Amino acid sequence: MTDWPTQAERRWAGRRVQRLEDPGMLTGATRYVTDVQLPRTLELAFVRSHAPTARIVSIDLDPARDVAGVRAVLGPADVADVQPTVDILHLDGALKTPRFTLPGDRVRYVGEPVAAVLADDRYAAEDGADAVIVELEPLGDGEPMYDDIPGDRYFHQVAAHGDVEGAFERARHTVRRRLHVQRVVTSPLETCGIVADYDSATGELTCYLSTQQPHLARAALAEAVGLPVSHIRIICPAMGGGFGGKEVMLPEYLCAAVAAIRLRRPVRWVEDRSEALTAGAHGKEAEAELEAALDGDGRLLAMRSRFVSDTGAYSSGIGAYVEFMVGAFTVPGLYDLGGYAYDTGGVVTHKAPLSPFRGVGMTTSQTVREVLLDDAARVLDIDRMELRRRNMVPDGPWRTVLGEEYEPGSWRTAFERALELIDYEGFLERQALARKQVTRPPRLLGIGVSPFVEAAGIGSAGGAGGLPGGSHDNATIGIDLSGRITVALPTFSHGQGHRTTAAQLVADMFGVAPEDVRVIDGDTARTPFGMGTFGSRSGVFIAGTVNRAGEIVRDKLMRVGEILLEAACEDLELVDGAVGVRGAPSRRIPLAAVAGAAHFAPHVRAELGDPTLTATAFFDPPRPTHSNGTIAATVEVDRDTGGVAIERIVVVEDCGTMVNPMIVEGQIRGGVAQGVGLALLERYVYDDFGQPQTTTLAEYLLPRATDLPPIEIEHIETPSENGTGGIKGMAEGPASATPAAIICAVFDAIAPHGTSIEELPLRPETLAAALAQS
Amino acid sequence: MTAISLTVNGATHELDVSPRLLLADLLRDELGLTGTKIGCAMGACGACTVLVDGEPVRSCLMFAVQADRRSVRTVEDLAAQNGDLHPLQAALQAHHGLQCGYCTPGMLMSVAPMLESGQPLEPDAVREAIAGNLCRCTGYQTIVEAVVEASRR
Repeated sequence: MTDWPTQAERRWAGRRVQRLEDPGMLTGATRYVTDVQLPRTLELAFVRSHAPTARIVSIDLDPARDVAGVRAVLGPADVADVQPTVDILHLDGALKTPRFTLPGDRVRYVGEPVAAVLADDRYAAEDGADAVIVELEPLGDGEPMYDDIPGDRYFHQVAAHGDVEGAFERARHTVRRRLHVQRVVTSPLETCGIVADYDSATGELTCYLSTQQPHLARAALAEAVGLPVSHIRIICPAMGGGFGGKEVMLPEYLCAAVAAIRLRRPVRWVEDRSEALTAGAHGKEAEAELEAALDGDGRLLAMRSRFVSDTGAYSSGIGAYVEFMVGAFTVPGLYDLGGYAYDTGGVVTHKAPLSPFRGVGMTTSQTVREVLLDDAARVLDIDRMELRRRNMVPDGPWRTVLGEEYEPGSWRTAFERALELIDYEGFLERQALARKQVTRPPRLLGIGVSPFVEAAGIGSAGGAGGLPGGSHDNATIGIDLSGRITVALPTFSHGQGHRTTAAQLVADMFGVAPEDVRVIDGDTARTPFGMGTFGSRSGVFIAGTVNRAGEIVRDKLMRVGEILLEAACEDLELVDGAVGVRGAPSRRIPLAAVAGAAHFAPHVRAELGDPTLTATAFFDPPRPTHSNGTIAATVEVDRDTGGVAIERIVVVEDCGTMVNPMIVEGQIRGGVAQGVGLALLERYVYDDFGQPQTTTLAEYLLPRATDLPPIEIEHIETPSENGTGGIKGMAEGPASATPAAIICAVFDAIAPHGTSIEELPLRPETLAAALAQS
Repeated sequence: MTAISLTVNGATHELDVSPRLLLADLLRDELGLTGTKIGCAMGACGACTVLVDGEPVRSCLMFAVQADRRSVRTVEDLAAQNGDLHPLQAALQAHHGLQCGYCTPGMLMSVAPMLESGQPLEPDAVREAIAGNLCRCTGYQTIVEAVVEASRR
């Protein structure tokens, strides 16, 4: 497969092209699921469990039926034929936690749906939901979550690579760090939602659905409700963010779909914010423990990790797997380890089910590892960056202790450049001066640095690393009679600007401008099968599929050009919306005429054999891409309040060849902001009785404009060997590496007072208490 | 039901509404102006911000009946009739100040009145001004840069 277009032929890729999706969003014209308005739509509201664990004694639906505006009520018996959803882990020894749409026997978390009310509007539906009487018999602490899951642990895996025990025996120093990464909530501004519409004449169910994976959602829905996949159409008109939280087939969606089929009316459910916070896409919560064995020179000999993910009541979709397995796999990061052992798994608890969230697993591993390395440097009395230098892998390709093959990256170059940009040495001098200050209490200044590698664009080959499932992605490119090119993607953009980046790539292939390329995604009826958008995969899969499909169509256009222009293919070019003879501007045929000839000119059709000007092509990358970078942050901690002010955040990022640097920077900044939230602000709290305490955005704190400094970015471009056109997947690295940079900076600031805090986020209360104790 | 009369984007509407109907739902469901988004329905995220008599208001915290005899302006009214973007909209696009676009209408309506004075705005003042508008995608910086630039046109 040639890598086409070449660098010299690129006119649009690499440029800061303004986004084609913006005008619709800026004027309010872009439609999201919640904006879909179909005639005769019924609104759905749920009756939810108010107990974390209880047996359902009775559900009295009748009072809801008398409420004005209520048209139907669904209880467990009404959806009993819907198949329970089960996670997609294909791992030996993984115990299953089937999730019923409306469980009739018992509830396992506060907010679990137990009944559904359909009414003329949401107001009436909620009135109806309030009228339903649910009698619950609370179950005691000793009651297992599931009869067949002993100790509530549904998966556990232990493995060792290299000589771990020997390394710890002969180590000069060992350090250990425990960290509890808190439960957070993905919190896209647009919550989850569905509008389900059943056509009883054709038997087709159309669902407008807020999902990152239209084709996978379609398959999951088909399996649960018993319709053929072909009878379901998923449309995502536009989506207001996902961050991993919109990858699961929710019981709420199944209820809406079943109701639409039964009632022969469109049914709409849009999650409200308190539902999202109580029973929506929670993420991350894990216990992590990491130990390192070092020699007398500060060289890492081996590491041992232990991860336990708090999965919540059900392991669903890809489950918490991506937290605890990716966490365990990504511990080595950019460090040369002779040995590594992990002990990892997940437990079920009476909390909302855990969903993937940007930086899955790697946020936890990156944070605990970098904090531990700082601990080690303090124990050995070595500069923290010097300790990293002594252990960081050399620029270029690398094979980790786990056998993962990194493609070439600028690991060390990015790290050193970040230190230069944040003026590491200068900061240390300023910090030393501040610490010596005698006239008033010394200021608490700190610096943290977090170098990262991000494996992305993982295809079927990822299965070898233990990831469940394969991958299957296609793009379709076609040219219509007006000469316009349409590309249909396997991915689904929900903020990442794929319409623009895909159009840039296609524009270069066909010699047109990006605005002349129509990009379609988010509709199973208009796109070929693809896995959707998650795991920083879209850049790699868009480039790979589009390049292959485009090459087929491009060759066909050139063939038509050969016939019409009576010239050899080598002499032809696609430029300015035409096929032309190189160096002969007068001998050009516009694409519309080329398409017209392929459609209708008998001699052209006869010579072409197959006159189809549309092609669908499949792509599965041989190996993942590896982008990398370093985050450096400086902070000041307020001695009295424990408040953290971030002075600077510097990011050096290398994601290979960039299609649109502006969009790359947007992904970096957004990821950094979420990382700051994790480090300092966000935490989902359950009380000791399993009751949620942070059910509104007044209690659950998301980063605001005043919480963040400007984020300084510099790029390095080490072209990918595994990704088409040198492109590496990116967008999770900065999100997962930022917490470590901030936390290391805070610990550095308070180091004279001790750094034994093990709970995240680093809230003012926690820090003030730690400072007061010392 | 209660009879109300209000002006929305220059057009007068006479409506009978339920006393508990939120202004946000009136705009979206009754008038089809779905550009106004609902992000939290409790005044914490700012996505539903519209102008009422020229002042930014959380339309999820205001009942439709409270808008009786008042003038409401939504995001649909910002761009010119010919489709030309408002300078603030154009600046947001130029600075990549939006990604998923869901917070964008509220962000625009929160900031638009600040620009009318013609006073150049400083970045810190803009950060304060949009501190009540949550964005989960951008990290805010490019929004701040866009507003600052629009204020200096």
